[in-house]
Amino acid sequence: MIRASQISKHYHMGDSTVRALDCVDLHIPQGQFVSIIGSSGSGKSTMMHLIGCLDHPTSGTIEIHGQDVNAMSEKRMALLRNNEIGFVFQTFNLISRTTALDNVVVPLMYTRKSFSTKPAIQALERVGLSKRIKHKPSEMSGGECQRVAIARAIVNKPKLLLADEPTGNLDTKTGTQIMDIVHELHAEGMTVVLVTHEMDIAVQAERMIEMKDGKIVADTAVDAARRAEILTLNHEAHQSLFRKKSLHSPSSKPLPPQMEAK
Amino acid sequence: MFHLQLIITAIRGLQQNLLRSTLATIGVIIGVGAVVSAVSILQGAQRDVLDQFESLGADQLIVVDGKREHGGVTSSVQALVPGDAEKIQQEYPDLILRVSPQYQGAGQIKYFQQNVNGFVLGVTETYAPMNSYEVEIGRFITRADVRGSTMVTVLGYGVAKDLFGALPAVGKNVKINGKSFVVIGVMEKKGTLGFLNVDEQAIIPLSTSMSRMFGQKYLSMLNVQCASATAIPACMEGVKKTLRVSHRIRSGSKDDFTIYTQEEMKQRFAQVAKIFGVVLYSIAGISLLVGAIGIMNIMLVSVTERTREIGVRLAVGARRFDILKQFLIEASIISLFGGALGVVAGWAMANFLGEFTQVIKTYTPPSIILASLIMAIFVGVVSGIYPAIRAARLDPVQALRYE
Repeated sequence: MIRASQISKHYHMGDSTVRALDCVDLHIPQGQFVSIIGSSGSGKSTMMHLIGCLDHPTSGTIEIHGQDVNAMSEKRMALLRNNEIGFVFQTFNLISRTTALDNVVVPLMYTRKSFSTKPAIQALERVGLSKRIKHKPSEMSGGECQRVAIARAIVNKPKLLLADEPTGNLDTKTGTQIMDIVHELHAEGMTVVLVTHEMDIAVQAERMIEMKDGKIVADTAVDAARRAEILTLNHEAHQSLFRKKSLHSPSSKPLPPQMEAK
Repeated sequence: MFHLQLIITAIRGLQQNLLRSTLATIGVIIGVGAVVSAVSILQGAQRDVLDQFESLGADQLIVVDGKREHGGVTSSVQALVPGDAEKIQQEYPDLILRVSPQYQGAGQIKYFQQNVNGFVLGVTETYAPMNSYEVEIGRFITRADVRGSTMVTVLGYGVAKDLFGALPAVGKNVKINGKSFVVIGVMEKKGTLGFLNVDEQAIIPLSTSMSRMFGQKYLSMLNVQCASATAIPACMEGVKKTLRVSHRIRSGSKDDFTIYTQEEMKQRFAQVAKIFGVVLYSIAGISLLVGAIGIMNIMLVSVTERTREIGVRLAVGARRFDILKQFLIEASIISLFGGALGVVAGWAMANFLGEFTQVIKTYTPPSIILASLIMAIFVGVVSGIYPAIRAARLDPVQALRYE
């Protein structure tokens, strides 16, 4: 469970201050699959870094699984990232020149438990890479690399999976395979927060949060009907037009007439 | 994070850029090697020379060439002649037991196909008793040999062994610097005496050496054995007086010779050793510093290059301290590995120099091995700490975005 109240993140760029996040409230219950969509600079990545305990907010409070991030020491935050959060990145961020297994082992090295490579092998099996354990990232396809990254993210069995444009560097077919794994993990009870700017990826979540200029501009529950509707829209209309129409439609509503006309 | 895992990770990190890690290691090898060989050479020289001073005996004086200062330049003045020895002996028969004039030169000693490059020492009959250096087989040089400039030689133990092996040497003809000599005796095994490995020399009559072999007028050295150690000041005074008269030095002018006692030579040597020590240790220290800078440079490059990796590690739960440890251990592995190889390299280098020059005797004290390894770890930690701190201070968000 994630509860953010009135969080802001400001960066200083020379004399000016960039408000990457501006007084945002967000509550994500346990087990939900949420996508955060927005153009670059909308604050979606900043949001993810704050949820992922990689950074402290400038103001406001964030609770991850009932623990206040602001009150946490650097050590405690590291432990939280290690045990309860799994990260997946657009560029995979695997350590090159080491094998798939060595990459998946990394989070295990920072747990306070006794070390064993067994969970890493299991995690690689889980993403269907049991035969690629000894392969290096340079010897694998993008989709395989991303699956290694997912294995690394889930090796400590976290409750929360944070994915930052996980399909951004992949073709549609491979992207679908990755999303299938994400759906499976969600089905197993994992909370998933997925940051993307691709609408057809975003609508696969149960809930879609749209961000712009550091604020949440739309928070939509997505069911099958809504999903089809948005996808149609997305294919037919310009994205900015969609954004304008859905601005105040937190749930499915009849489509605006001009949209239907098209 | 578990320490074994930490070390494995560090080794893998170093393997990622093997060439660079190797170059950094070589820097440390050279640094530590320089320290070890400097210490070995210096310690060896010190031991060797001190041993030789001891072997000279406390009752001996050494008379060598004098020094002349001319316009700030010091040069040596050759003035000692064989006749001086007899004069000293005759003047002070009570104070002075023996006088041994010597002329030393390099020589190749050859017996058929066998040959030894050693020293040729021209002496009189006093040399052996003065140094309690005994003939093992045959006889030593006599007064008659010196008077007649005979072509006879007494071989050092090592020379005899090299040329003849187990066969008898006495009575055989050997060639010294191309001239034919009859072997009249073989000396006992002695080692070093008066700065030379006497086992590696051929002893010939002084007159033969100076006139027939090297064509020299002046002695290299004059050893004077006093009646007792307490008689040394009186002895010195006597030798000085005799030589000044013999060399016709007017009162007020400086001596054209220098007299040393064992004690004085020790002190002089200690001073020279100190200067050499400062020079050698400075060079070694600089090498080590360069090695340390090498490690720091490599580590800084490595931290920059692996910024993303650091970001990932932080994201998956590494504490800043874990990152710090990882890079410190990497630096320490380079330095410890380099240090261990450096000890071996330094020791080998010192021995090689010793073998090659035949002059330097080296001694590697066991304590230097431990000291070098500790020094190496210290270098690793000192040069690794700054890059490691930089790595640990990286902002995970920035590090993950780093291109």
